[in-house]
Amino acid sequence: MKIVIAGAGEVGTHLAKMLSNEDQDIILIDSDQSRLDVIDSNYNLMTWNGSTSSFESMRDVGIANTDLFIAVTPYETRNITSCCIAKNLGAKKTVARIDNNEFLIPENGEILKKMGADFLIYPEDIAADQIALALAHNWARYWGELHNGKLLMIGVKCHQDSPLLDHKLKDLPVTGHDFHVLAIKRNNETIIPGGNDEIRRDDIVYFITTPPYIQEVRDLCNKRKRVIKKALIMGGSRIAMRFASQYHDKFHIKIIDNNRENCENMATALPDCEIVCGDGRDIEVLRENNIYQYDAFLALTDYSETNILSCLTAKEFGVPKTVADVENLQFVSQAENLNIGTIINKKLLASSHIFKILLDADEGNAKCLALADAEVAELAVKEGAKITKAPVKDLHLPFGMTLAAVVRDEECSLVSGMTHIQGGDYVVVVCLTGTISKIEKWFN
Amino acid sequence: MPFFRHKSFINVRMLLRVIGWLLLILALFMIAPCVTGLIYGEHSTFGFLACMGVTAGCGMCMVSLRPKSREMGKREAILLTALTWVILSLFGMLPFLVCGTHLSVTDAFFETMSGFTTTGATVLNSLSDVPHSILLWRCVVQWIGGLGIILFTLAVVPMLNYQGGMQLFNAEVTGITHDKLRPRVSYTAQGLWLVYICLTTLLVVLLSFSEMDFFDAVCYGLSTMSTGGFSNSDMPVVEMDNLYIKTLLLVFMFLGGVNFALLYKTVRGDGKSVLKNDALKWYVGIILVCYLLLTLNVVMRGLVRDASDVTIDPLFQAVSILSSTGLTEPDFSDWGPVAVIVLIVMMVMGACAGSTSGGAKIDRFIILFKFLKNEFFKMMHPSAVTTVCINGKGTPNTIVMKTLAFLFLYIIVIMAGGTILVLDGMPLKDSFFVCLSSISNTGLGTDITGLGGNYAMVPGFCKWVLSFIMLVGRLELYTVLLIFVPSFWKK
Repeated sequence: MKIVIAGAGEVGTHLAKMLSNEDQDIILIDSDQSRLDVIDSNYNLMTWNGSTSSFESMRDVGIANTDLFIAVTPYETRNITSCCIAKNLGAKKTVARIDNNEFLIPENGEILKKMGADFLIYPEDIAADQIALALAHNWARYWGELHNGKLLMIGVKCHQDSPLLDHKLKDLPVTGHDFHVLAIKRNNETIIPGGNDEIRRDDIVYFITTPPYIQEVRDLCNKRKRVIKKALIMGGSRIAMRFASQYHDKFHIKIIDNNRENCENMATALPDCEIVCGDGRDIEVLRENNIYQYDAFLALTDYSETNILSCLTAKEFGVPKTVADVENLQFVSQAENLNIGTIINKKLLASSHIFKILLDADEGNAKCLALADAEVAELAVKEGAKITKAPVKDLHLPFGMTLAAVVRDEECSLVSGMTHIQGGDYVVVVCLTGTISKIEKWFN
Repeated sequence: MPFFRHKSFINVRMLLRVIGWLLLILALFMIAPCVTGLIYGEHSTFGFLACMGVTAGCGMCMVSLRPKSREMGKREAILLTALTWVILSLFGMLPFLVCGTHLSVTDAFFETMSGFTTTGATVLNSLSDVPHSILLWRCVVQWIGGLGIILFTLAVVPMLNYQGGMQLFNAEVTGITHDKLRPRVSYTAQGLWLVYICLTTLLVVLLSFSEMDFFDAVCYGLSTMSTGGFSNSDMPVVEMDNLYIKTLLLVFMFLGGVNFALLYKTVRGDGKSVLKNDALKWYVGIILVCYLLLTLNVVMRGLVRDASDVTIDPLFQAVSILSSTGLTEPDFSDWGPVAVIVLIVMMVMGACAGSTSGGAKIDRFIILFKFLKNEFFKMMHPSAVTTVCINGKGTPNTIVMKTLAFLFLYIIVIMAGGTILVLDGMPLKDSFFVCLSSISNTGLGTDITGLGGNYAMVPGFCKWVLSFIMLVGRLELYTVLLIFVPSFWKK
């Protein structure tokens, strides 16, 4: 599939690298040669130095036979213009990154679609939704919904009092077959467990289950449900603004920012949020603002380090749920090992969103890039595929993968040894990064 | 986590595995001389079968290694590229040892390296006694080396179609910057090889219409397209009296010196970029200027006997040297010192980057000349801001710096190489000429400077030095020399 990405910023380069590793034909356009140099000599893709919204460079990269055009420069108008040009020159699908809520309203979207921007992504909006999800299900580290919430992926950090600890998975103290352990994250390693693996203290365990059994999973992890009412946000970044304007009626929000001008703007834009001008890194300031009374602390400044450390401070103050925006990819895994509740990364969220758009174009296979070095994919089963030959227990599937759930006629159920997969089903599979092509053989 | 995964210092298994693939491909190419041997009923067929067995066997063993990770960084890519050329020459020389050419190991290695690097310097004295299969093998070796064996591997082995492959591409393909034709490296490699194969086939077909027999047509086709310059008879130029053949070789030598990415684009109907290309303009320009100089020289020395002496002959000579093929006119030795000087200048220049030719490449000289022009301008107008403009686009200063460093290194290598040859007892003039001829992969014989005969005359140790210089020249200095820099091996 030929994909042209306009804009070699953080999201653009991340997408380009990721898609190139997935064996797609990538052309990355940017007007700044120095940004392209490093990526050009190190990655298996082509770069093009030119304006992202010029007819000439579009024609030069062969936009006419492009399957997907992604415009992710920092300027939304330029992105939309680029999409408009690309679409009219023959690109099959276009995606534009925007930062304006107005565009997301369906009837406005129609107009943009007419202009040539088929899909819109708004990274800050995705991040805000992700934060809201994390606050709503605050006992989990990670909360992902598949098939409109019919399947749930939940990541939980197991503390010392969980009844799950130190049991082999095959002898877990449970009855029935209501959830699967998809993956275990221990230190920096992700394990796709088999029956003989056991859960240890401080592991992050990823479960998949269906909504009726959420309670059971939560009890097993010995977690309590807590309703979050008050949220303290540090840093008036775009994510913070987006979150506050989207969810100000659900939560009582206070935003601390150290830029007075920015604070005044926020105060006008968000009349029912409390805005404080001060340095959120200063413990005195946090104390003054009664950090003890808050249920959640969201560190959303532009600096990953500040966010991580402030969340640790907030935990010391006894704030039950903390969320940190970590934009440095290297720090994400480090931060996950610390005692920070949820990590948000705009880049990863945006690129996994685009990934979904891409895979939707590619026949129903979807993938959520939820875990660090494991992948969760939803694969369509072809008629007569190898996997349909016998019930799962007799298939002798390779190690390092788990069949988690099967979706048949919009009904979701978990896979057990007795499940017999049929053609036309969708199967949710978990595997280590890079092994998915081996697994796809079973499904075709 | 990918960030913290332990990366071994050098991924030896992966290196060996890729080299294994390369050996298998080399074994595959050995089929051609085998078949030739059968057709001509030569004993060498068995020798070739044995070599093929050994090469394929070693290749198989190495391919069967299972590397822990496929990861290859810059260090591996550079090491692999340099090693590949050496190891392939070692295996490629086997036929010369066992198939009745009676060469010593030194000579066989020199001949093979000269072939792979498309230098075309030969140590074989009486080519009429050499079996046909060996003659073909020399040309096949040149042909593989012309565009690069690693590039070929990138095109056919899907395993390399990822990041590591990209590094290999950068380490082998010539030029300052590398044009990518298509997003994925294997498609780029396929595109380049497709152009190469089509042109070679066309040349062979056209040549076989002449009075040349088919075998000679194939050999000349392979060695001309790769701008190598091995020939099938001791007096190659005798056959060249034929105007048709000469014109054909001229045209295809010229094409061999053109950037293949540009040829590919032209075939795909992108005529615009050809007209805009500075390197091509200069290439044509330099050929014309050198043609005029050589013609003038011929006229001045009173060597004109018929029309061809002032038309096709000097032109042929100019293209042959500039494209680093290294075929010479029969009476070149009479052309005198002016012609030799013109030759030396052309040898250093070489043709366009991204072609099969050698030399320091015209592209680099364009940058430096324009840079020089800017410097002169700046002396008068100190506050002027200037940029080196190539193909209608400004070039960043870092590229100019790189080019300067490259040329400096080029001079160092020539000086060092020449000095070593002198120390080993070769005459001063010949040492430097041969050294230059090796680094630019031209392979002009020593007869030009008066030492007489071919490279068989060169002392044994000097042959090893020259083989090394040829490799350094073919891989454009850095890829080979980096391995000898201590910091390359520091963890």
